[in-house]
Amino acid sequence: MVSKFSAPLERTARLLDLVPYISSHQGVSLKELAKLFKVDESQMTSDLTTLWMCGLPGYTPLELMDLNFESGFVTIHNAETLSKPRAITFEEGVALVLGLDLLRSAISPDRRDLLERIELLSQRLAGSIKLPSALSATSVVNQEVSGAIADALKSRMGLQITYHSLYRDVISTRIIFPIEIVESEGQLYLSSYCYTASDFREFRIDRIQGAAVQVVQREIPKKSVQQSRFTCTIKVLTPTRAVAERFKQSELQVNTAFDFETYSFQWIERSIMASGRALSLQSPPDVRNSIAVMAQTMLDRYKAR
Amino acid sequence: MHTVSRKSERLVNLTIALLATKRYLTKTEIFTSVEGYEGTPETKERMFERDKDDLRSLGIDIEVGSFDPLFNDEAGYKIKQEKYQFELGDISSIEVSLLSLAAQAWQEASFGDVAQKALLKLRSIGIPSDELSIPATVHKLNDGGQDLSVITKAIAQSQRLAFAYLDSSLSVKMRSVVPIALSTRNSFWYLSGIDQEIQAIRTFRVDRISGSITASEGPRDFKTPPGFDSSKTLSETPTHDFALIDVRVGKASSLRTLAISTQSVGEWDQITIPILNLDSLSSMVLWHGPDAFVQEPAELRDLVVEHLVALVENHG
Repeated sequence: MVSKFSAPLERTARLLDLVPYISSHQGVSLKELAKLFKVDESQMTSDLTTLWMCGLPGYTPLELMDLNFESGFVTIHNAETLSKPRAITFEEGVALVLGLDLLRSAISPDRRDLLERIELLSQRLAGSIKLPSALSATSVVNQEVSGAIADALKSRMGLQITYHSLYRDVISTRIIFPIEIVESEGQLYLSSYCYTASDFREFRIDRIQGAAVQVVQREIPKKSVQQSRFTCTIKVLTPTRAVAERFKQSELQVNTAFDFETYSFQWIERSIMASGRALSLQSPPDVRNSIAVMAQTMLDRYKAR
Repeated sequence: MHTVSRKSERLVNLTIALLATKRYLTKTEIFTSVEGYEGTPETKERMFERDKDDLRSLGIDIEVGSFDPLFNDEAGYKIKQEKYQFELGDISSIEVSLLSLAAQAWQEASFGDVAQKALLKLRSIGIPSDELSIPATVHKLNDGGQDLSVITKAIAQSQRLAFAYLDSSLSVKMRSVVPIALSTRNSFWYLSGIDQEIQAIRTFRVDRISGSITASEGPRDFKTPPGFDSSKTLSETPTHDFALIDVRVGKASSLRTLAISTQSVGEWDQITIPILNLDSLSSMVLWHGPDAFVQEPAELRDLVVEHLVALVENHG
């Protein structure tokens, strides 16, 4: 975020926040201070030099703050007036309240002690910044699953997972060796080697319904079995937001076609079905045909009712 | 650089003087005792007025008062310690750890910088924290590219927000909303508020807002509707409409997660789902192909049939 304060104000805020930090971390290195306060070391030296000139009216050595930083390590004395950290700002409070809310959903329900503390902290924070209690953030991943994933990654162990595959609409139990967590378009995936599929797979973490650490043999192939991609041509009949989001198209024009690459016949079939009258799949022809057959079968069932 | 340093120095000195004083300091006292006020009386006056505004913009509360309210004394100024300081009462090491984890959830997103500043203040309390003692893996919050602080500020101040929103037919319309809640579900941010055009509560997915959001002064005497609970707007919107859908055993998990009741009928289960949006529900039913069949209501069944007729026609 771009700073909304002018340079002297930004600096004043930093100077005021430096005093309590140094007071509670006597002997902190100049280098670390610069890193924490996100300025370079020469700016930090200049900040400390300025602070050294500040103090209570009178400004004799008795009233000035006593700073020492020549050795590269910083100590401060005679700074009681400013030694307590400043009140948090509205935005800082908002960030903490939302962060606490997210944290709440990541803690197991049997840790009532922690959940109660979070609740109280959140109320105190909201009260101190006069924030109506209207913010909430929740994690979609259940605590047991994220705990097991973290354990497996840390100890280089395998996992047994129950996974809901959206395309195939089945819940399967798989043995996997998790490699890393990757983020793509706001979703978290567990990149893994799947012993069940004998290949590398990415599992959307919010679709993992259960996970338990399991011992596995660690030899996994270096290369992935090549999955074949195929291209579909899709004609737009009615531009809708649902279609734009599903196929990640920024623009849709009536009666124009776009190409879309996918690994899964099932996914494309279901996506065209779900789009109803908005789309028509032009190719591949066999998928087009199977959609026509499926839709007719369903229609017959509704008519027979 | 020099003026920057002089100004910051004066502001810090003014803060210290106003914090340390037990009684109100008059302007005359400030000009004679606080370092940095120079020039003609008018210059000093102007400097001081600006300094006061600057400190207030940093969130420092300067109180104005006089020594003796019975006499028409010159106004004086001071900063109350209890308002200046981070005040959360007695705070334990576990609480500092919880707050630190909360701040870390932001990383590079919208509030990343402010969360970092809050974290520094927390550490400055001087209570050691041990985040590893908290059994939780915190997922990172993602802002979807929008500056969420505009929204949170508008919630606190009941401002009016104007933005271009992509509606379900893919047309972009300007919306004017007084926001009352911001929440995240399934990795998306949702903004709820009173849509000014229809004077009813509506919820918007933040990533469907195109361009920037502008804030302006909100309606006078705005009040959050009573009984509004942001945690319930998305998942538990009160509805009296329910759909009765047959789903094949072992199939259609995503429809099942929406069900409020399930009844077994042999090869099929009959589930009841609250209807929040007819279009998205019919789309979900179609996604599941022959594994889902709508029994009720007729409205939903007709919509599904209408789509199926079009699908047959368009793929024949």
